[in-house]
Amino acid sequence: MRSFPLSAALAAALLAGCSSGSSRASSLAYTDPPAASGWRLVRDPSSSASRLVLALVGPAGTLTRGVGLNIQAPPGVRFATFDGGLAVEEGGVYDLRSVDDDPAEPLAIAAGLKEGNVLSAGVFQKDRRRSAKDSGATLLRVALEIDPSTGPLSGSAVTLRVLRAAAIPEDIGQAGDPPFVLARKLALTELDVAVGTLEAK
Amino acid sequence: MNFTTLRRLAALAALAAPLAAAAASPAALPRDVQARIEAGRPARVARVERQLRASATAMGLGPADALVADSSFTDEGGRTVIHLVHRHAGARVLGSQLVVHVEPDGTTRTIGRGLAAGIVLPGGPTITPEAAAAAARARLAARGPLASEPTVERIVFPTRFRSETFDPALGRSTVRRGSYASAATGLAPFVWAYRVHLEVRNALDGAGEWFYVVHGDTGEILRTDDLLRRATAAVGTGDGHFAGQVTLDTSLMNDGTYALLDTTRGTQPNPGLVYFADDGSGWVPTGMQVWWEEHDGTGASTWNTFLFQGNAANAWGDGQPLDLITYGNEASPNGQTAGVDVMVGLRTAWDFFGHVFGRSGLDGNGTTASGTAICTGFTQADNAWWSIGSHQGFFGAGTWPRFDDGVDAATDLDVVAHEATHGVTSPSWDRYFVNGAGYEEAGLDEGTSDFFSEMVEIWAGRAGGDPDDAVPATPGDGQIGRTFLRTGPLRWFDRPSKDGRSPDAWFDGMRYMDGHFSAGPLNRALYLLARGASANPADDTHSVYLPAGMTGIGNDSAARIWYRAITEYLVPDLTGSLTFDDARQAALDAATDLFAAGSGEVAAVEDAFAAVNVGPAHGGPPRVKVSFAPWRGVDWISLQYTDGPTRQFLPRGENLRPRVTVENASNTDVTWSLGGPSMWNGAEYFVQAGGTIEADGTWTTPYQMGWHAVTATSVADPSQFAEGRVSLINMDMDSDLEQDATDMAELSYSWYLSNGLNPSHSVYIAPWVDDEDVSAFVDALRTAWPVP
Repeated sequence: MRSFPLSAALAAALLAGCSSGSSRASSLAYTDPPAASGWRLVRDPSSSASRLVLALVGPAGTLTRGVGLNIQAPPGVRFATFDGGLAVEEGGVYDLRSVDDDPAEPLAIAAGLKEGNVLSAGVFQKDRRRSAKDSGATLLRVALEIDPSTGPLSGSAVTLRVLRAAAIPEDIGQAGDPPFVLARKLALTELDVAVGTLEAK
Repeated sequence: MNFTTLRRLAALAALAAPLAAAAASPAALPRDVQARIEAGRPARVARVERQLRASATAMGLGPADALVADSSFTDEGGRTVIHLVHRHAGARVLGSQLVVHVEPDGTTRTIGRGLAAGIVLPGGPTITPEAAAAAARARLAARGPLASEPTVERIVFPTRFRSETFDPALGRSTVRRGSYASAATGLAPFVWAYRVHLEVRNALDGAGEWFYVVHGDTGEILRTDDLLRRATAAVGTGDGHFAGQVTLDTSLMNDGTYALLDTTRGTQPNPGLVYFADDGSGWVPTGMQVWWEEHDGTGASTWNTFLFQGNAANAWGDGQPLDLITYGNEASPNGQTAGVDVMVGLRTAWDFFGHVFGRSGLDGNGTTASGTAICTGFTQADNAWWSIGSHQGFFGAGTWPRFDDGVDAATDLDVVAHEATHGVTSPSWDRYFVNGAGYEEAGLDEGTSDFFSEMVEIWAGRAGGDPDDAVPATPGDGQIGRTFLRTGPLRWFDRPSKDGRSPDAWFDGMRYMDGHFSAGPLNRALYLLARGASANPADDTHSVYLPAGMTGIGNDSAARIWYRAITEYLVPDLTGSLTFDDARQAALDAATDLFAAGSGEVAAVEDAFAAVNVGPAHGGPPRVKVSFAPWRGVDWISLQYTDGPTRQFLPRGENLRPRVTVENASNTDVTWSLGGPSMWNGAEYFVQAGGTIEADGTWTTPYQMGWHAVTATSVADPSQFAEGRVSLINMDMDSDLEQDATDMAELSYSWYLSNGLNPSHSVYIAPWVDDEDVSAFVDALRTAWPVP
């Protein structure tokens, strides 16, 4: 195959043509998934025109001790941080502190942006002496923003995917259980999280 | 001779006359004869008491006086020896007693200087025993508690008797039990008094035991008896392996032999020796002294220590290295050699700080410093160290030449002075430098010891006519451990990196080194301050951080600046927080005090520290600085570890970049390399250099966990770099080959769980999960995959 050098003028014309039909989006619109129960990502009221905040909500009556998920956003849509610099915010359901309630103790809440624009975030109770909590409320939040320079075109549908989600179940055994019993109970519950539709505006 | 004395002697002569003169002591009698005589001892004691009562008037004793047998025994020749004390109205008359010998044939002889006659003392003391005890305690003014409750005895005190004890056979006072503290003219010949016994045995006062005689009416202290038997200062000779032929300040002990105990240096007891019991030898815990450590003939074990003593000729050492293999050789002339060198080193350092800086001892309070020549175990016998708590140095007597591991004895002057300087910087557990890898303070501690060791050597080599209170301008050897390593010096001042381990200049991360190596920049700064730096790149004193060089201000000025810095400004807070920046500022403050702001000396301090990359040169701009800055807020790890704020945790087996800060440069790019200088220079932990670094700085971390060193070098100024520590941890708790936030779930439900725990739930693959796991995991997730 032969190749031809692309002249600067031609390149400029092509770029101009690309942008002649629509402009880059500046905001994200999100429609909650149709399911009214189960695990789902819903739009959080704290969202704004430029910032979409999604809340992970679980089924009411299901007791858990923490949740984590890996969520992938398309190119041009970036994950944002909350106050304090973390890219995840707890929903206020879990008791992240131990029963000792030491102000200096580290909390099991963290997020990192992995390859492929995948946000890996989690919020967990670390102290098994804390009771499991009802999951039918906002358990954690993540935030999305449009990158104005690389974001999708306005009006285009973009896909948000939850690659994996898991929760610590209510029953994680007792510290005094025989080791083989305890080892069997120390297992995560895999979650199927319903995701709504996302549109770049 | 007064009337009273004449009358007493006449009376004693009268007593002796009817009993006849005694013959020489007979040989040992058969046991059955001895037993028969012993059986008659009580009767003989009673007979003597009767005879003395009958002679009482003639001896000048009155109705209130009595001679009471205090003790008696029968010797192997059958002689009964009876000790009688003089009591007046039931109270002991101090200094008035008799010893009577009753031979087997009944002949009797009196031994004694005479009795106190003519006592006229109506009534009794007017102050209470409690008041007397209080008066004695006030005189003692002990800082610590008494070792026992005071005991108080009512006595009659003869105010004019003498107490000196002189042994004509030895020609000296063998037991110095105190001084005659009364002789107050105008006192009656006898007064009522109390004899108060006080004893202390604590770190504040040392060991001491006294009798105070307190006037029974006025509370005046009439006499003080120091009950501890103390040695007498003497001067001996020594033949050191390093010191050569020297004179030594020693002590004549109670048995007539000598000890390496120098009572002229030290006014306070040594805190490590104060708990040793008085053995009656004349030993005291106050006074510089050198002990030796017994070994078992292989140098492997046995940890008893003894004072170098029992030397009849007061001549010490043979100048030869210790023949380690010979059991018991430690106390021989050969073994004494190490003691000679230690004593010379300690006293020289002591005198240096005293003469040059007016310091009382090493700690500033005159506390006795002591040394021990170590003969046990190769790692000890070939090393030296200082004990803060016991204020004493331990110096290896050396295993060479018996075992040639490349090192000689650690008893040469520069080694001993180095350790002794630790007694200046760290005089007690209330003030000491934290000296461990992980702290820049360790380098400041060791560097200070190195520097003053050099100054001590120069001072010790001063020429006749040089003042004692100044450090001569002569150059030193610029080395530490000149004789310790048989292959060459241990460390150099002009270019510390000549040892292959010490850095020439400061960099962030130097704290991970052993302090003996991180001392390099301070050694060099102080050396250059004294002697100057060359502009010639080929010269060992040339610094790329001060290419134009500098002129030194001389040994004495440099020593005074640094002494003032460490004693008045660079005050450790017991947490190891002192840095080289603090050292520079302390030196500037001290120089300003001594030579005024804006002086050439202050500028020289700026330049000297600039030459080792600490602060800008005089009038120069700030430097580019690369650092593994404190990245954390106040989190669990930052609270747990001194270097917590700069600790970084990252996952193993991932592509990522550690965090680093570049200041004072518009171009903040860095180039990365694996490993770092501290890995070979006494790293705090077992540290590795693993993985690969790509051209863009991406680090593919190895799968191997643990501490790894990485070095970031400024692109803007390649002379500036920093070494950081990264702990590679396991973040795949669920073993799905992904290290992500959901792994934190398994870490969480395993928190403080030991039974049933899968070790992979720990960031360290350990059978335990705690808050360090949580903190490390959170830190690693954020650091490895930051959200912009």
